[in-house]
Parts: sequence; structure tokens; C-alpha cells
Amino acid sequence: MSLVEKVPLAEPTVSTAALERKARRVRATCLVMAHQGREGHLTSALSCVDILVALYGGWLNVSPGRLHDPHRDRFLFSKGHAASAYYAVMADAGFLPVEELATYGKSGSRLPCHPCRLMLPCLEISSGSLGHGLGMGTGMMYGMALSGHRGRVVVLMSDGECNEGSVWEAAAFACAHKQERLIAIVDNNNMQAVGRTDQLMGGATFEDKFHAFGWGVRTVNGNNIAEVRAALDEAPFIRGQPSAIVAKTVGGAGVSFMADDTLWHYRVPSKEDLLKALEEIGEPPFIEVGP
Amino acid sequence: MRRAFSDALFKLAQDDPSVIFLTGDLGFGVFDAFIAEFPRRYINVGVAEAQLVDCAAGLALEGWRPIVYSIASFMTGRAFEQIRLAVGYHRLPVIVVGAGGGYTYAHAGVTHHAKEDLALMALIPNMTVVCPGDPNEVSALLPQLSRMSGPSYLRVGRFGEPRFESPAPIQVGRARLLRDGERIAVLTTGGSAVHALAAADKLAEADMRPSVCHFHTVSPIDTAALDALVARAEVFVLVEEHGLQGGLAAAVSQWCTFHGQAPRRILRLGPSDELVVGNPKQHELQQRLGFDTDAIVAACRELWSPAVIGKAAP
Repeated sequence: MSLVEKVPLAEPTVSTAALERKARRVRATCLVMAHQGREGHLTSALSCVDILVALYGGWLNVSPGRLHDPHRDRFLFSKGHAASAYYAVMADAGFLPVEELATYGKSGSRLPCHPCRLMLPCLEISSGSLGHGLGMGTGMMYGMALSGHRGRVVVLMSDGECNEGSVWEAAAFACAHKQERLIAIVDNNNMQAVGRTDQLMGGATFEDKFHAFGWGVRTVNGNNIAEVRAALDEAPFIRGQPSAIVAKTVGGAGVSFMADDTLWHYRVPSKEDLLKALEEIGEPPFIEVGP
Repeated sequence: MRRAFSDALFKLAQDDPSVIFLTGDLGFGVFDAFIAEFPRRYINVGVAEAQLVDCAAGLALEGWRPIVYSIASFMTGRAFEQIRLAVGYHRLPVIVVGAGGGYTYAHAGVTHHAKEDLALMALIPNMTVVCPGDPNEVSALLPQLSRMSGPSYLRVGRFGEPRFESPAPIQVGRARLLRDGERIAVLTTGGSAVHALAAADKLAEADMRPSVCHFHTVSPIDTAALDALVARAEVFVLVEEHGLQGGLAAAVSQWCTFHGQAPRRILRLGPSDELVVGNPKQHELQQRLGFDTDAIVAACRELWSPAVIGKAAP
């Protein structure tokens, strides 16, 4: 397998400040979507916004006009329950109409609470059941290498997702096949549906685990776009091996009264919650707040 | 059937450069020719059925034609979630192969028994479920499955099963009328076809000539063949090496019920729901649970009597 080539950015260099502003708009949009679509999972969505903005803000070699380009990067959104953030970033990047975000979670929408590729073909995979993305990503990587396709494969997983044994079956496979163009990002908000990830998993760190599986590992502040971007640029961390970015994040990041509070894994924001959060974020959502 | 499978796989890989084979650490020596000829299109993922299927789904998304292979009980049970979602939900043309289906591994214990593989696979939307009766059918059906746009399941047995010859074409989704008889139709899937043919030979010595119709495709079931059989037979004897739920008997009896057409009587010969312990041989188990050649002969003899069928013999 060849070394990673520097691919042209999808858009000209975007300043970190501009991306940070975009991330605030994405957060505001997630809140409106959750309120209007009557869906929860806000902590999960808000924790990965900066990672998604870093990826789609010029790092991934993807564009709406090249959905079938065999040399594109493949991005697999494996933590499907955080879909609102993904949809908002995809809409901002032109993959779907921004106004469609207002249909999120509604009956008949192409934007259900877990992404469905049958409804939205611009997705690389459907997700919602945890622990499939990395394995599917290793298969795509193997197939791309066989075909001589140059893209990279990036898989975003939640830390709770890494409870699943299938993640580690895939991790071993990626190492065995020296998939240096594969990057796994763990959104390590240490928060899952019922409990704390580190406690449930006995305290072994993601760094230790991925090291043990033969991966190169970097730890970053996953709510810092520049740090995420720098780690992405640096991959592969070990020549000839897959790369794991352990993104330390805060569940519900960006809204003080939701931050690190498991309640907001479930709760749908009321109008009052929404307005309070939007005021704190201080940037407008992509879609209008309804009456 | 295993040798027929590996030979058919090799030929398929020669004909179609997108075919890629993944095994869950099964098949020592069986695929040596394939490995030598197509080293990059052979992947042993190890004892990791979830990865076996998720990885295959990723390959299929990239345009490859994956064939995944493991012991039937683990292939269908352990990786059910991956087959249902990564393959089924994504509508990918992955061929799932369960080796040692049914009670091929009877002696190896309950862990290795696969009498629910067809049922599990038939539960998945658009999944074509195929259970060949002999090596010829494996050879003929594999390339047909590889040309389909959706997923499929292929049950193969062991090495060295007997072959049977018939002019009836081997086509996915089409039952094969192996013997054209009267009054009783013996419907089979998998290796039970061999027993049914042996039973038909014995019965012919006593001038009893049941039809034998073999359903190598369990899902979707060949309803045209069922229509024809109902028109000519008064009794169905269903024989399968599979549990009652989700196999041939279930498919046929459901069709009879909902279609409103049924023979006067339906008898099923096959394993019960019991957990089989005590490491019997496969043929011992077939005898004990009553779905071998002798059991089919006995059932047909009894049913042939006019009193049982309730109609005068011709």
C-alpha cells in the first residue's frame, strides 16, 4: 500500500476562526433539529460537532459533485445516534439542501434519527447499530487498495460503541493488513446511555487498547478543531499501520447546562431550553426556529 | 459438497475478477489452489465472524463480490446482526456460505449443530436461501448466486456426499421434480433428497411410486411447483434436516394455509426441537429423529393405504 498522499483540499484553506464559528452554527442547528424533530441524543451530537467540522471543513477529499469518485475519501459515520450533527454538517457542505434539516426525525423524512443510506444515498453507510463502521471501513479499505483507489477511510465512532467486541475484531484486522490509510476517531466523551465509559470498561484507556492492537495513536482535545485537524494531517502516526485519534470531548459541548449531563442523552429540549441554549451559543442556526 | 464448493469457487474467481473469498479460519487445505492463484482475493479474517461479515459488506460497497465462509452455526448465528444490517440493510450482493449445515457436525455437539441456519437467513429481507442436495447443485447454484443483485445464503454439507442425476435443470428459485409419481409427493431440501430418492427406489419394488420434488431454494419458495404438486398429489411428505420453524416445512405449510390450497394431508419428517447431546453420528441422528431413508419408506407405505389417504387407489 502506498504512503498517504497529500490530497488537494476540498475548499481553499479555511481559517480556524471561521470553522469555529461554523461549529457554533452547527450546534445551534442541532438544538433546533432536536426540538422540532422531538429527538434526543443531543450530548452525543454536540460532542462530535468539532470533529465533523474539522473533517468537512476542507480535510476530507469529498464533494457533492463526486459522490461516486473512486478516489474520494470515505467517511463512515458509525455513531449513528448523533445524526443531527452529521446532517447539519453535510447540509452545510452541500450534500443535502439546508432547508431539509427542518424535516429531521419527522415521518417520511430522509433524515431519520439514525442515518439511512437507502433514503439518503450520499451516505457511505447506514448506521444506528453500534460496532459496524470500523469493520465495514476495513473492508472498504481492503477493496480500495486492491482496486488502486487512493482515498482514505475515516470512521467516527462513539466511545460507548467501543464496548462492542466487533470493533476490536476490526481493529486486529486493520493492523494485520497494515491499513495505514485508515483512521478511526473515537469521540471519547466518557458518557454512554447508562454510565461512564471508563468505569464500565474497567479503566483501560483507548490509547492503551489501540496501541496493543498495533495502531498508531494520538490523543487530542476533540472539541478543538485545530487539534483535530493537526492530528488528521499527521496520520499515519506509524508508517504502515492504521491510526486512532482519541478525541477527548465533552458530551453536550457548547451548551453549559447540557455539558457532561447524561440526562441530555435523552431529553428533548423545550422551547425555553432551546432559546436559552441558542443565546449561549450566540450564532444563528442554519434553519429557522419555528413558532 | 465442500470440494464441489471449492472447485466452483475457483472457477467463479477465474470468470469474475471481482469475486473475493473471506473465511472465518475454516478450510485447512481446501482452498490451497485458490490461494495460490488469487492470493489477494483470499482473506482469512480469523475466528471473528462479525468482522468476517462487516468486512465483506465494506468490500461489496466498493464493488467487490464477496463470498464469506464459516461453520454454519457460527456463520448464521453469531454473525446474524452483521448479516441482517451490514449486508441485508445495505442490500449488498454478499454470498454467505454455511459449511456443515444441519447436523453435519452431529458428533461435535450442540455448539456445532445448525438446524436453524435456513430460518435465520430466511428472516432477512431479499435474502435468497439455498440448501443444495448434492455436489452437482452446489456447482450449479454458486455461479447463479454470484450474478444476483442481492444477498444469498448457501448451505453446504461435508465432503463426499453422493450425487444424483436428473434432467431437471438446476436454477435458483426453481424446484426440481426428480421423480414423477402419483398420490404422494415427497418434498425435500438439502441432503434429504438423497434419502427420498433411495426411498422411492425401495417403494417402487412394491409398486408404490411417489413423486420426489426437491427444493434446493427454500426462500423464496417455488410456488409454481407447489401449485403443480397440489394438483397431482393427495399427500405431501416434507423432509428436511432443519428445525420446524423457518425451513421447508414451514414455507410449504404457510403457502398451503395462506394460498388456500393444500393436499389432503401433510406429514413432516425432520428433527424435533430437542437439544441433541451424546455425540451421535449424523446418520444415527437422522435415524433416531426419523428423517432418513427408512423413515421416508415407512411413512409412504402407511400413507399409500387407501384408508389413510381416504380415497381408493387407482
